Amino acid sequence: MRSLTFDRVCPLIYCLLLHVHLLSSQNYFPHFASASSTTEAEALLKWKASFLNQTSHNNQLKDWIYLPKSSDTNATNSSSTPKANGSPCIWTGISCNAAGRVTNITIASSGIQGMLHEFSFSSFPCLEYLDLSFNKLFDVIPPHISFLSKLFHLDLSNNQLSGRIPPKIGLLRNLTSLHLHRNNLSDDIPPSLGNLKSLVNLSMSYNLLNGSIPASLGGLINITILYLGKNNLSGTIPKELGNLKSLVDLQLSINRLSGSIPKTLGDLTYLTTLYLYSNNLSGTIPKELGNLKSMVDLRLSFNQLNGSISKTLGDLTNLTTLYLNSNNLSGTIPKELGNLKSLVDLELNTNQLSGSIPKTLGNLTNLTTLYLYRNNLSGVIPPSFGNLKSLVNLSMSYNLLNGSILASLGDLINITILYLGNNNLSGTIPKELGNLKYLTDLSLSTNQLSGSIPKTLGDLTNLTTLYLYSNNLSGTIPKELGNLKSLVNLQLSNNQLSGSIPTALGDLTNLTTLYLYSNNLSGTIPKELGNLKSLVNLQLSTNQLSGSIPTTLGDLTNLMTLYLHSNNLSGTIPKDLGNMKSLVALQLNTNQLSGSIPKTFGDLHNLKNLYLFGNQLSGFIPQNLGNTQKLTVLDLDNNHFSGYLPQNICRARSLIRFTAHNNHLIGPIPKSLKNCTSLFRVRLEGNQLIGNISEDFGVYPSLNFIDVSNNQLYGEISQNWGFCPNLTTLRLAGNKFTGSIPAEIGNATQIHELDLSSNGLVGKIPKEFGGLALMVKLMLDGNQLSGRVPLELKSLIDLEYLDLSANKFNDSIPSFVGDFVKLYYLNLSNNMFGQVHFPTSKHFKLLLQKHCKATTACVAT
Amino acid sequence: MASFPLSLVSFSLTFLFFLSPALSTNSEGNALHALRSRFNDATNVLQSWDPTLVNPCTWFHVTCDANNHVIRLDLGNSNISGSLGPELGQLKHLEYLELYRNDIGGKIPKELGNLKNLVSMDLYGNRFEGKIPKSFSKLKSLRFLRLNNNKLSGSIPRELTGLSNLKVFDVSNNDLCGTIPVDGPFSTFSMESFENNRLSGPELQGLVPYDFGC
Repeated sequence: MRSLTFDRVCPLIYCLLLHVHLLSSQNYFPHFASASSTTEAEALLKWKASFLNQTSHNNQLKDWIYLPKSSDTNATNSSSTPKANGSPCIWTGISCNAAGRVTNITIASSGIQGMLHEFSFSSFPCLEYLDLSFNKLFDVIPPHISFLSKLFHLDLSNNQLSGRIPPKIGLLRNLTSLHLHRNNLSDDIPPSLGNLKSLVNLSMSYNLLNGSIPASLGGLINITILYLGKNNLSGTIPKELGNLKSLVDLQLSINRLSGSIPKTLGDLTYLTTLYLYSNNLSGTIPKELGNLKSMVDLRLSFNQLNGSISKTLGDLTNLTTLYLNSNNLSGTIPKELGNLKSLVDLELNTNQLSGSIPKTLGNLTNLTTLYLYRNNLSGVIPPSFGNLKSLVNLSMSYNLLNGSILASLGDLINITILYLGNNNLSGTIPKELGNLKYLTDLSLSTNQLSGSIPKTLGDLTNLTTLYLYSNNLSGTIPKELGNLKSLVNLQLSNNQLSGSIPTALGDLTNLTTLYLYSNNLSGTIPKELGNLKSLVNLQLSTNQLSGSIPTTLGDLTNLMTLYLHSNNLSGTIPKDLGNMKSLVALQLNTNQLSGSIPKTFGDLHNLKNLYLFGNQLSGFIPQNLGNTQKLTVLDLDNNHFSGYLPQNICRARSLIRFTAHNNHLIGPIPKSLKNCTSLFRVRLEGNQLIGNISEDFGVYPSLNFIDVSNNQLYGEISQNWGFCPNLTTLRLAGNKFTGSIPAEIGNATQIHELDLSSNGLVGKIPKEFGGLALMVKLMLDGNQLSGRVPLELKSLIDLEYLDLSANKFNDSIPSFVGDFVKLYYLNLSNNMFGQVHFPTSKHFKLLLQKHCKATTACVAT
Repeated sequence: MASFPLSLVSFSLTFLFFLSPALSTNSEGNALHALRSRFNDATNVLQSWDPTLVNPCTWFHVTCDANNHVIRLDLGNSNISGSLGPELGQLKHLEYLELYRNDIGGKIPKELGNLKNLVSMDLYGNRFEGKIPKSFSKLKSLRFLRLNNNKLSGSIPRELTGLSNLKVFDVSNNDLCGTIPVDGPFSTFSMESFENNRLSGPELQGLVPYDFGC
């Protein structure tokens, strides 16, 4: 920033003349009013009067009022207007030169809500310094600003100015500082700015500027700071910027700049800061950047830069920050980066870097952040990393690192975040990690780590996240983990952990997620888990847990997911689980739970998924389950339920999947299913459901699979099935349906499997079935169907399975079955076919040879 | 960072999103789903293979027995490309493996030799390369083995002569070398089953090694 000389005398002739006359006599002033029709004071007051917030801003500008000079009032023969006599030079924020002309206006952070239109630029011919930053100025910057020809410092930053930057700003040849950042300025950067040869500092970041960066900016030969970041600038970076030899700080980040980084930037030898991050830059990183020996902070991240990292970057020995992350960089990490002894923050993550991590990075003893995650790095973690004693953040996850985790990582005593997940690391977890007292996040998940979890991890009392999931860890869960009172996320799932769940985990009262699923855990679920009042997700599924579900789990009223499925749990389902009002998903399936479903489940109003299948549950299904307004999946199959299905089960029209097959259910199909347009999958087969269902099912836009086979249902098959556009499987076998097959089913062109077998159907196969070209399995056996098998069925060329046996079909064997090249099962037996002519195709011969012995009733012979 | 432990392969039935982690503890379903992830299924033949279902028995082209074990995989003529993986060896109850006339490449996994109940393996009309796994000699129930019209190389493993139930064997139109076995079931196969290879004719026992000319 350049210091100000308030008492500088205006060098322009106009100003000199004015000066002389002002000194000689005030009376001459009105003659000059023709040059500036208002006085400076008047102009300032007029501008002030235009502010929208007349009441609130006044604190700082309250002295901006007329105070006629005592000399004026005492003057004899004073014919001048009072206006002409007020001097603003003593007002807040105003400074004048010796001649009493305003040279400096600094009214930053004054809460001004106004427009520059009302500012009479022409009234301030001597103004050198104008700072209106941190106000609420809005609307455009008027082109008249070019009248301020003396101006060397203009700061309009941090306002709400909009519109295009007036090209006439390019006339302010004395400007050394131009601050327009943090406004809403739009349109392009006027190329005329390139005329401001004195400019040292140009800041236009945080606007809405678009278009490309004018090559003319390459003419700003004195510039040291150029900020154009956070705009919508597009096009390429002009190579002419390489002419700006004085540049110290260049920030073009967060734009839409494309093309490659100009080599010429390597000529900017004074550059200490270069921000090009968050653009669409492509091509390689020019090796010439290695010339920028003064560079301290280099950020090229979030572009599409490719090629390898030039080893010349290792010459930038003053670097403290190097961000190359989130590009498409490939090749290896140059060992020369180990020369950058001043580096504090090195982020190379999210590229395609390969090869091993150079051991020289272990020389970077000032590093606090090292991010190498999401690359293809292989080999071992260099032993030299134990030297990085300043490290606070270390992430190398999502690579191909192998070998073991070094015990020396336990020397990184300042580390708070250590992420090594998603690699191929093997061996055991070193007990020395327990030394990392400041650790808050430890992720070693998705590796091949084996051995047991070290007890010493219980010393990491600041830990909030511990991810050890998806490894080969064995042994028991150390009870010492119960010391980790700060823990929020504990995920040990997908290992071979055995033994029982330590009751001490009940002390981790900050836990929101506890995942222990897919291990070999045995014993009972500790009732102490009921103390974990903050828990949102509790997943203990796929273990060998036994005993009953503790009633204390009902205290976990914040729980959203409770997965206890695929264990050996027995006993009844505690009615207390009905207290978990936040519960969204409850999975208790595949256990040996007995008794009935608690009626309290009808109160779980947030429940979306309820999985109870594969247990020994019995009794009636509570009718109030239909009260759960959000229920989308209800799986009750393979239990011993009796009684009726809940009649209101789809009251909320949100049910997507409903399975209750293989129970002892009686009674009708629930009435609410008829208009349950959300249905996707329904399985009710293998019960004793009874009733005439001719009218029970509607038209379902999403229905994919329905099976009501092997019940006591009767009536006629509804033509509605033909209007379910996504139906792929329709199974109605083993009931007592009568009447004929509706031709409309031929409209359901997504049908892959149709099973109407073992009913009392009569009539012919509709010729419309020829349109079901995706059919894979067609079973019409065990009915009273008759007539000729329609020739149209020849278009079912994907048929794998065709059973028409035990009907009354006549005429000849349909010879086109010989063309079904995917057919592996064909049964036409027990019909009344007259002529027996087997197809002669090569495929059919093989079908006979290959599958007759595999299937008992193959082809009628 | 890693926020969720399981990354389920995206599935067309996305509105079933809440069903993760996968319920399927069924190793056969997992094996088939792993197979699917290796396939490029241009015509959506595998659309019904929903990994969130408890078992794969309602998936199309998959057939189970009464105990919900997969006994058939019928994906012949299905416009599938990609490759096979070792997970297929987990389908211990499989009797029919029908993958003929597709565009499947890569090696035939040796783990297919673990399918002890296999009656038929039809891999013909693909782009399989590499050798015929010796492990096929463990497929004692095998009656149909057709590997014709691929790019298989190497010799016909002599161990296959122990497959006493083999009725149909076809390796024509490959790049096999060496001599043709004559023992066991091979005494009954016609020469058509071996044509268009670099095979040097039936082996003359005791005179030349079977991999002569390889």
